[in-house]
Amino acid sequence: MNAVATNEATGAVVSARGLRKAYRNRLALDDTSFQIEAGRIVGLIGPNGAGKTTALKAILGLIPFKGDLRVLGMDPRTQRDELMREVCFIADVAVLPRWMRVREAIDFVAGIHPRFDRAKCERFIANTQLNPKLRVREMSKGMIVQLHLALVMAIDARLLVLDEPTLGLDILYRKQFYQRLLEDYFDEQKTIIVTTHQVEEIEHILTDVMFIRDGRIVLTSPMDEVAERYTELLTSAATIDQARALKPIDERALPFGKTVMLFDGVPRQQLAELGETRNPGLADLFVAIMKGTYA
Amino acid sequence: MMTLTSIQWTDGAPIYRQLKERVIAMMLDGVLKPGDALPSVRQVAAEYQLNPITVSRAYQELADEALVEKRRGLGMFVTEEAAKKLMHSERERFLQDEWPAVAERIQRLGLSTEELLSKGAAK
Repeated sequence: MNAVATNEATGAVVSARGLRKAYRNRLALDDTSFQIEAGRIVGLIGPNGAGKTTALKAILGLIPFKGDLRVLGMDPRTQRDELMREVCFIADVAVLPRWMRVREAIDFVAGIHPRFDRAKCERFIANTQLNPKLRVREMSKGMIVQLHLALVMAIDARLLVLDEPTLGLDILYRKQFYQRLLEDYFDEQKTIIVTTHQVEEIEHILTDVMFIRDGRIVLTSPMDEVAERYTELLTSAATIDQARALKPIDERALPFGKTVMLFDGVPRQQLAELGETRNPGLADLFVAIMKGTYA
Repeated sequence: MMTLTSIQWTDGAPIYRQLKERVIAMMLDGVLKPGDALPSVRQVAAEYQLNPITVSRAYQELADEALVEKRRGLGMFVTEEAAKKLMHSERERFLQDEWPAVAERIQRLGLSTEELLSKGAAK
């Protein structure tokens, strides 16, 4: 059990090596490796079909796969029951039985999960529009997610996995979702993995980002290193050739003869001589790195 | 014009520094006075949708500069000397970073000292 010891020592919550999963003839995970440390909020970001959900399912032990994967020092394939005491999950397809009342949902989780804190859950519920008698079928999509979140946050788990948790919610619910998570749940002992297409909305919440493309993790980095590594430059016609010589990884023309270029690893001071610089948004970075995905 | 609005040129500074500047601005405006408590890292993280590490980093820098101090179990508080320290450093910063640009603009617009002072006094 060397792997377990190593994991605990480095504080890795998830460590994957040579992770591989094929559906029929298509590779959903293509021999990919990554590591997630404790106390981080990690965004797993990729185009549709890149392998995000497959990666999460592997972490949760919901699918068979090849390669080496340790989650909290355990193998999700063989130690799933044990693992589930420490891991919580909200999926975009999260379904609660439509006949169930809020009270019954709480009773249910209290009955099956040893680490569920009922009083805490009721406190979270009290801060929403939900009431104990409300049935799932009477709830809006936003309210169902509120219920889910209250149930999950009341469980003292070390790893929380969120797969498109705010899909289909309006902006108020989306903001509230992350607000609750940061205020009532997250601390340095917990780790959150989240996938979403609303990259701009969560980029400042993330401590780390992982880009996934065609079943491979193509970028994994703490957010502050992303800010140091990548620079966006606004050039004009006068400096465009000089800027191009520094080999931007992406370039797009703007109105008024300006061009935005994205650089990887070029010192910012050097770029500042050629125009205005700034940190690229995660969305811009994503678009640049994923270029050609659907081509 | 969509491209231009979606770009949102910030000053290119990291978020933690922008947050720190914001707290400093509140001190300068007198919204935060010596002895006042700063909101908890958790509250700020939730309110501004930032990760707590970013917020802690901003607070840590404020503490390193002795503008705030940590009181065990109670949180962060604005120090007594914060106002004095800030006035000094902000004056320096204005003269170094902002004034040259403003002065250049005044010159370009051909504004006289009298014109500037009369407008300034009217306010």
